Amino acid sequence: MIDTRIYEMFREIGEDLYTAQMISSHGGNLSIRLGDRVIIKRRGAQLGRLKPHDLIETRLDKNDSGVALASTELLVHRTIYLNTPALAICHCHPRTAVAFSFSRDELVPIDNEASYLLKKIPVVTEEFASGTPQMANKVAEALKNYKIIMLRGHGSFATGQTLDEAFHWSSTLEESCQMELAAKLINEPFIEYRGMSGSYTKF
Amino acid sequence: MPVVKLFANLRKLAETKEVSVSGATVGAVLNELVERSPALDGIILENGELRPHVLVTLNGHTTNDLSLQVAEQDEIAIFPPIAGG
Amino acid sequence: MSGWSETILDIDLNTLTYKTYPLDMEMARQFVGGRGIGARLLWDMVGPAVDPLSPENVLIFTNGPLTATGYQTSNRFSVTTKSPLTGTVLDANSGGYWGMQFKKAGYAVLIVRGRAEKPVWIEIKNEVIAFHAANELWGMRVFALTEKLGQNNNKRNVLCIGPAGENLSRMASIMNDRERALARGGPGAVMGSKNLKAIVVEGRERPEIEDKERFKFLLYETRKLLAASPLTSQALPEFGTVVLMNIMNNIGALATRNHQQTQFEGAEAISGEELTEKYLVKNASCWACPIGCTRISKTEKVEGEGPEFESTWALGAQCGIDDLPAIIEANALCNDLGLDTISVGSTIACAMELSEKGYLDSDLRFGRSDQLAPVIEAIACRQDVGAELTDGSFRLATKYGHPELSMSAKGMEMPAYDPRGLQGQGLLYATSNRGGCHMRGNMIGLEVLGLPKLIDRFQVQGKSSFVILNQNSNAAIDSLVLCKFTNMGVADEYFARVLSAVTGVQYATTDLIKVGERVWNLERLYNNREGFTAKDDTLPPRLLTEAPVDGPSKGWVSQLEPMLKEYYRTRGWNENGVPTRQKLTELGLVNLM
Repeated sequence: MIDTRIYEMFREIGEDLYTAQMISSHGGNLSIRLGDRVIIKRRGAQLGRLKPHDLIETRLDKNDSGVALASTELLVHRTIYLNTPALAICHCHPRTAVAFSFSRDELVPIDNEASYLLKKIPVVTEEFASGTPQMANKVAEALKNYKIIMLRGHGSFATGQTLDEAFHWSSTLEESCQMELAAKLINEPFIEYRGMSGSYTKF
Repeated sequence: MPVVKLFANLRKLAETKEVSVSGATVGAVLNELVERSPALDGIILENGELRPHVLVTLNGHTTNDLSLQVAEQDEIAIFPPIAGG
Repeated sequence: MSGWSETILDIDLNTLTYKTYPLDMEMARQFVGGRGIGARLLWDMVGPAVDPLSPENVLIFTNGPLTATGYQTSNRFSVTTKSPLTGTVLDANSGGYWGMQFKKAGYAVLIVRGRAEKPVWIEIKNEVIAFHAANELWGMRVFALTEKLGQNNNKRNVLCIGPAGENLSRMASIMNDRERALARGGPGAVMGSKNLKAIVVEGRERPEIEDKERFKFLLYETRKLLAASPLTSQALPEFGTVVLMNIMNNIGALATRNHQQTQFEGAEAISGEELTEKYLVKNASCWACPIGCTRISKTEKVEGEGPEFESTWALGAQCGIDDLPAIIEANALCNDLGLDTISVGSTIACAMELSEKGYLDSDLRFGRSDQLAPVIEAIACRQDVGAELTDGSFRLATKYGHPELSMSAKGMEMPAYDPRGLQGQGLLYATSNRGGCHMRGNMIGLEVLGLPKLIDRFQVQGKSSFVILNQNSNAAIDSLVLCKFTNMGVADEYFARVLSAVTGVQYATTDLIKVGERVWNLERLYNNREGFTAKDDTLPPRLLTEAPVDGPSKGWVSQLEPMLKEYYRTRGWNENGVPTRQKLTELGLVNLM
């Protein structure tokens, strides 16, 4: 039985993701690492309304009975845990960030918060859907050096020590993209207010 | 009445180390405190929310849940952002 | 190459000669510097047959590729040796200015071997190395000696031992720049056993930086981050580390009277607030540091650096003492004699408990602040009751039939944070490679302060992964060598980028953490080779079986066993705590087996 505090944490963040319009009804995923085990959303569950039985606990390094019920994205989460120091992963579909990912190889924020916290978000491409080793390796590789990355046309993957942290990066990214989109609509010359911002793309 | 203990630079701002403050929840107590010591506004709370990195304990247990119930003999401690070795 | 100095200075005190040779740059990439390179070299040089106080032990001083570049806190350096206190691998690091100067002199590593026939001190002026007789200096205390040898923070820096190291106290520290310390584990005794009184260094050249533009940008961003973090920009400069006293007491995790309680009624009297209000002159900082956490305190008798939280705790709450001026003076005395304040305080506390219970015939009693100075002098001189205490609490308690009253792990006295109030911290102490220590990973960020986020301090499942990440990250920072307080405002991803910009070798964030993991596993292998096993990954019985009877941690004991099992699995070790072949292959260490 999964600890109620852990369930509460998943439920709250799942709900926040849905109300912030960062996932569709059944999209996105959250997971945490506990020692050599992983807790992840059950396949087919809705992040916005998680019930206790929607969380599956399984081994990190190989399959056990839990895996039959776990999300199809289990592979990419495991790969991330095995290749980076991540202890929590937030995967969502932040719509404005995804919109920018269609035309850019990296997102470089112009707002204060994301400039400060994120600096630069690489965009990687992998055509095939979740669950393939190619996609898992590509995402994990990019996360070796960045705490949040975009998978073009798909969504973001963010890591942290806690789900709260991973969600923090995700939320900041989407907010940043919405601000940039609004600026584009306003369409007036940008007044640079940050020192050495030309270097963000080299982060 | 619950007792609120203040630490580090909060003492200078509130001009006291310790004060009795009424309130049924942690949030209510903090709001009342800030009302009495306006210098704490924006330091402990911002728009009714706990400011990041402010450490609040209820009877020695850290919390950021402002809706937690507070009993008459409870003790709330507030620390501004701090660290050490 | 940029960043690294590429020369090793290898000194033989048997013959008072030296040689220089190139640093293995392939090894340097893997272990980076500081603690990492120290561990790698110690592995080759000092095996299980070597007594730590014999001429066959070595002292390995190291800096890192970032040292002296001017990046924030790039002043720190390490010493690595086999510890006379614990018998484990020991690394200790210190701030101030000496490390920066040593790098400027052109060296990555200084190895000191053998034993001089008569007391000597060494003078390093870039490529000119001189040995001087130290007969007249032998017996001198640290402050006077430092001045006599011409200490000038920016130009000429003195590293030395005091009487404690000369008398081979296993709690002896090596001091630098007057009041900075390579404190824990007894490195001062190793230096004393070599008849080496001091090492003075002058340098002239700052290191090369490969990508200057990127470095400048990261410097700028780090400055912003440190200024924006309330911890590094306000709390630490204003109150210093002692600000933790009231917090730890409030949550019931402040070890008191030799860990008999978890709260101290005198905490307020020895708090950071009290220090700032009554005894603080100003704050100070090490080279290239904008934080300024150092205290300059003044009482009627002394004025000097400190005290830090741990020192104030060890000589205060742990001994049941609430007399802050006496603690400040005792701290200054430890610095002047060259002693580790944590081990000294906790050993005195152990002696107090042994005495009160009638196991040790002495008049030491909890709360007796008047006893601090005399017993510290006696410890440094190995006299009277000091002779009983000077080799640490474990030997003391064992000799008098009660080893369980030494609050230590692997023989090193534990610091202030009581594991019964912080589950993760207990796991940390039990698994730390140099013994009971909080600077090889510290869980208070996560378990107390909410840095980066708060986790449940009483939760057990899953705790090991946080501890492991902490330990790996710390080991990486100790290899760069930077101050861990920068990590309060600046995340590891910045350090990886700074390392890449300075050296031109690309390290992703994960690569840097992996360096830390590599160092950690190598240290573990070293200890395994010395004969340490899973049985040594433990805590005193008091913490495992005696729960506090009151306070917020009431009823809790350390749940070490389940955490430890999970820890071994998560680290990729077998159930006996030995790194598996697979893990060692992954880390590039399998050839060492």
